[in-house]
Formats: sequence, C-alpha cells, structure tokens
Amino acid sequence: MAEATLSGSASAAKAATRQAVQNVNAPLWRHAVFVAPYLFFFVTLLVVPLFWSMWLSLHKADAFGVGRFVGIDNYLRLFRDKIFIQSVGNTFYFVFLTVPALALIGLLLALALNRKTKSAAALRAVYFSSSVLSVTIVTLIWRIVFIGNFGLLATVYGWFGATAPAFLSDPKLTMIGIAIATVWWCIGLPMMLFLSALQQVPREIYEAAALDNASRWRTLWHITLPSIRRTFVLVIIIEIVLQFQLFGQARLMTQGGPNNVSKPIVLYIYEAAFTKWDLGLGAAASEILFILIMIAAMAQYFISRRRGEEG
Amino acid sequence: MTHSLRKYMLAAASALALAVATPALAATELTVQRFFGACDAEFGGNTDVSKAVGECGIITSLINKFNTDNPDVHVTVTTVEWPGYDQLTAQFAAGDPPDIVTVHHSVLGDYQSKGLLMPLDDLLKTVGVSPSDFTDASLSGVTKDGKIYGLPIDNWTMLFHVNVDLFKKAGLVNADGTPKLPTSVDELMAQAKQFKEKTGKPYFVQNLANEVALYTRNLYTYLFQQDSDFFADPKQVKMNTLEAKKVLEMYKAIYDNDYTTKDLDYAASINAFLAGDGGVHLNGTWVIGDYTASSETSGTALNAGGYAVYPYPQLFSGKKAQYADGHSWAVSQKDRSPEEEAAIGKFLKFFNDNDYEWSRTGHLPAVKAVLESDAFKKLPHRDTIAPIATLGTPLPSTVQRQFAIQDIIGQEMNAAITGQKDIDAALADMESRINELLANI
Repeated sequence: MAEATLSGSASAAKAATRQAVQNVNAPLWRHAVFVAPYLFFFVTLLVVPLFWSMWLSLHKADAFGVGRFVGIDNYLRLFRDKIFIQSVGNTFYFVFLTVPALALIGLLLALALNRKTKSAAALRAVYFSSSVLSVTIVTLIWRIVFIGNFGLLATVYGWFGATAPAFLSDPKLTMIGIAIATVWWCIGLPMMLFLSALQQVPREIYEAAALDNASRWRTLWHITLPSIRRTFVLVIIIEIVLQFQLFGQARLMTQGGPNNVSKPIVLYIYEAAFTKWDLGLGAAASEILFILIMIAAMAQYFISRRRGEEG
Repeated sequence: MTHSLRKYMLAAASALALAVATPALAATELTVQRFFGACDAEFGGNTDVSKAVGECGIITSLINKFNTDNPDVHVTVTTVEWPGYDQLTAQFAAGDPPDIVTVHHSVLGDYQSKGLLMPLDDLLKTVGVSPSDFTDASLSGVTKDGKIYGLPIDNWTMLFHVNVDLFKKAGLVNADGTPKLPTSVDELMAQAKQFKEKTGKPYFVQNLANEVALYTRNLYTYLFQQDSDFFADPKQVKMNTLEAKKVLEMYKAIYDNDYTTKDLDYAASINAFLAGDGGVHLNGTWVIGDYTASSETSGTALNAGGYAVYPYPQLFSGKKAQYADGHSWAVSQKDRSPEEEAAIGKFLKFFNDNDYEWSRTGHLPAVKAVLESDAFKKLPHRDTIAPIATLGTPLPSTVQRQFAIQDIIGQEMNAAITGQKDIDAALADMESRINELLANI
C-alpha cells in the first residue's frame, strides 16, 4: 500500500512534469508568433493577390482603378480571342519542346559527370554556369547567335555558302529557337538534381551487380534509373511548372512574333494588362494559366504517387 | 567631467541640427525617365553639346549640361528601352512615376485621359515659354482638351535614307546626280527590279523581324496618300479596305521578289545599311545625324558615293502626306513643393532653349524660330527633307492606345507580307482586333 502510495505520488509528480512539458507542445496561440513572419508575407504576397486577381478577373479594370463588375465577360472574351487560344497552344508546344529535352539532357549530363575527377567537377561548373545568367543576358547571347546577316549562325553558314535558318523570324522555327535558348539556360538545375540523386544510390547495390557480372547497360537500366525515378518525376514537375511560365525569352527574342506563333500565355497576360491596359482581361488569362499549371502539377503528382505505391 | 559632458552633448546636438538642416540646402532632386538609348561610355561626362552626335549623345550631353549649369537642381536619369510605356504605366499604377518623362505626342492622350499628367500651361508661362513659340504640328501634338500636356521637343517622320553609290551603280540617278525615286507603285517595282539586277543587292533595307512600328508607319503613310479615312471614327477603325489591300500587296510583292532584306531586327538593319547591303533604308528622322557622320568618315559604304535622304515618295494619287508623330517631355501629376515645380520649369525651359541642338539629330524642331533659322536650314540634308514639315500627318489625336494598335497592325502586316496569312484575312483580323481593343477602353 505504502509502495502503491509512493508510486502513486511519484506518478503524480511525473504527470505534473509531463503536464508542464505538454504545455509546451500544446496548441497555444502564442506559438503562432513563430510562424507569423512567414505567414504575414505568405498571405500578403501570395494569398491576397491570388484572390484579388480572381476578383479583378470579374471586372472591367485598368491599372488605375477597378471599373464595373462584368461577371464572366472577360473569360468569354478570352475564349473568343484567337490569339489567346493560340498562346495556350504555343505554351503547351513550348513545354513539350523543353521539358523532355531538359530531363533527358540533364540526366545524360549527370550520368556522364557523376565521377570524382577534376575534369568532371570543372565540366559540372561549366554546364551549371549558364543558369546564373539573367534572362536579358541569355536572350542577348542567343540573338547574337541567331540574327540574320551578322549572327554567329549566319557567319558559320556563310562559310559554306548557305543561308542560316531564321530562328527569330521563321514561323516554324521561332519556338524551337526559344526552346534551344531555354534548354541552354535551364539545364543546370535538372543536372544538379540528378547528380545529387545519383550520389545517393547505395554503392553496395553496384558492388553486388558487379559481383553478378552485370553489364553497364543492365546496371543503368535495373539499378540506376529505378533508384532515381522519384527525382525524375520531381524534375518533370518542376520543369513543367517553370516552363509554363515562359515569358522573358519570348518577349526579348521575338516579341511573340511572327504572327503570334511564339506568344506564350504570360506574354499575352502582360500585353493585355500593360499595353492594352485591360487588367481584367489579363487577370482572367492568368487564372486560366493558374488552373493549367495546377492540373499539370497535380496530374504528375498523382501519377508518380500511384507508381510509387505499386513499386 | 560634467562640464565636458555638457560640451560633448552640445556638440552632438549642433551636429544633429546641421544634419537635419542640410537637406533643405541641398539641390532639388528631379527624376527624369527617357528612351533614346544609353551611351554613357561615350557621352557620360560630356557637357559640350556641340560635340555630341545622334539622339542618345545629344540628350545625354544636354542633361549633363543642365546639371552643370544648375547646381541648385539635380536631375537623375533613368534610361528605359524604347518606348518604355509598359514600365511607365506600372510606375503610375504603383504611384511612383518619374517627375519628367519622354512621351510621344500620340501617347499623351492615354495618360492625360486618366488624369496622370500635369497641364503645363501655367508652369510654361512662369518660365517665359509661350505656346505661340511652338510650330503648329508640335502645338497640336501636345494639346489635349485645350491644355498643353507636354513640352514638345520635335516632330519626326519616316524617310528614304539612300546609299547614293549603289543608286549610281543601279543607274537610278537623275541628270544632276541625285537619286531617282519612284512616283508610282509600278515605278517602284521596276526600279527595285533594276536595282537588284544591277547591284545584286535588295533595293530596301528593312527591319522586318521582331518589329511592329515600321509596318504600321508604312501603312499609315500610304493610306494617307490614298485619302483613306480609316480613323474617321476614333473608336472604330476601317482597315478591311481596298486602299489597305493595295499597300499590303505592294509590300508583299517587295518581299516575294527579294527587293528587301529579310530576317533583320532594328539594330541589324542599321548595320546592314551602314555596311552597304541595300539601297534605301526605311528609318526615321533620328538617324540623319548618325548617317551623315558615317558618310563623312572615309572607308565607309556611305562615304563611297554619298548619303542622301528624302521624304517617302508619293506613290498614290491622293493627298501628299506621310505619317508623323513627335516627342515631348511630360510631367507626372504629383504633390510638389514650389522648389520642385520651379526646377521642372527650369528643365523644360532649358530644353526649349536648346531645341536647335536637339534638331541636329534630324528631327524637325518644335520651336518655330529654330525651324525658320538659318542655322537649322544649313544643317546637312535639311533642304531635301524640308517638305516633311507640311507632309507630316499624325493620326487623329482622339485615337487612344496608338501603341497597342501599332502592335496589332505590325503583327498582322508581318503575317500577310511574309505569306503566313492571306492579305484579306490579315486585314479582317487587324480591323476586328483593333476594334475589340478600342471597344474595351
């Protein structure tokens, strides 16, 4: 009994201590202070503008004030606008051109440079270096390459007496030209992501494969690629979200031309809001872009999750 | 100890007082935003305006001189990429516009109609600048609803810049050695053909890539020359017309027959003309100074046989006219101290007084006295381009969003001329897109 009492009082003391500890972890209002700075900027810079732009998209508005409520009129105007529909198509085409290229070239570079030699380290730095440039510099470089008569491409073709393809003005080539510049610019990030994934594959598996006399192809196909599958999906998702937002390259290299074949959705939004002063229309178009990016990202996410569960 | 402490405190207090008082004695700060390019490497420190050449050189040197001449005012310049209106609109929307900004006459109405610009009548009067000083074209360009909303600095238009050496080789010269220019569309085609056969080079140097303005100005000019009243209603354009079709067919024929350079952007087209890659460069008044300087440098393509410049030839039977616009300094609507307003007045007066220097770029002066002065008339080539003072025709000033309209016309014309779109379809789309834009202002 005495023991029981003793142990009882001890457990009561313990409980009291635990109570104090629990108080720290309990949902107390003052804990919000710790997340408040982040929450403040998250709400003011992301949540409020998100809903504000939804509200704007239902109004006839310019940069200097919200006019009258027009319901879904801006959305109807968008779907009647051939240029907008074209810009949606252009954006999908651009994503189709760049995302697989970025993923595959990034993977190949990572596979080739995943070794501990000095030359590999130097080349990793070289391939990543373009990523630190601003879009202005990147497009300047590629305009110097592509421009007719004086460009690098025109000069090289000139040595052989040929005419260079007009990447800045031929309607069939402009998007490809912008895609080339973009892949050159953005290749650093996928390469780095793949490299970090490759370095996390346990060495023991490769040793076991070597003991089994597995060929390099078999090792790549059955060990390396399955091990970095999640990174592959991550790269695809990141790049889809990024490339859907194409703007600077198209604005600076072709201004969306010729005949709007290289005009992406963001450039359409920009022109609607700032050149035509039709902010409501621009807001409506940006809602459509928001939905498109969300669908693409969600689709990728669910596909990757289901595969992950099966595997 | 107490005594020295008090001494220190007094010293600190007086230092503080001085620090607070100093800004009141400092120069009045003005922010100026302009296009015309950046050339600080060459003219960043130059205050001798007479040594400067070209738009960028002259405006940079003028502002340098203003800062030197007026120690009580300090002007900070932001250079924007031409034309810079997207940025300006965003600045106005954010409530942070520059004090003084370059605005085309054709664009003043957009900002004025939103109450964003300051009427300058009273301010100009206080510094002794009278509206009657301006040329009629300049005054009407900056006048909206009976008030002046910008200090006009010039009027400009597009011109035929000619490589005389190539014209001689093509056999396209008059008895007096001047270049022979066409008087009809058929003659233009025949001369372009002859030019190409004799020189192996295209007749025109045009910037057709990454471009909208050139197409639009060409279209306006040749619509005026056919008396087409396409903006009879400033809210409703008529572009799907026979007149417009004739213009597009002409430019398409020029393109299809390789009578023009292709795939060049603006900067590349200037390089191409200076390298002697074609006979006629379609460009504005603003390059006359630079091209004259190039023609005076031995070894250049323009030095070989000379450089000449003319208004667009009259190719149609209507009114003698060509599209024109102008540049002005506009002042944003803000609460300002009397000192700041006075400083702005000084800046505007300075540019009005130095309009001759600005006219050396090739632009037509905005000040009547300069236009009529011997000094201006003696500038190179001003005799051959003098008619533009009467030929120059702007769009009706009531037409809003002229730069957005220019984008649409340029895109559709490019599509039609390069063969991506049928001419009729391009004109129909042009008309409906512009009317959609204007209906939603």
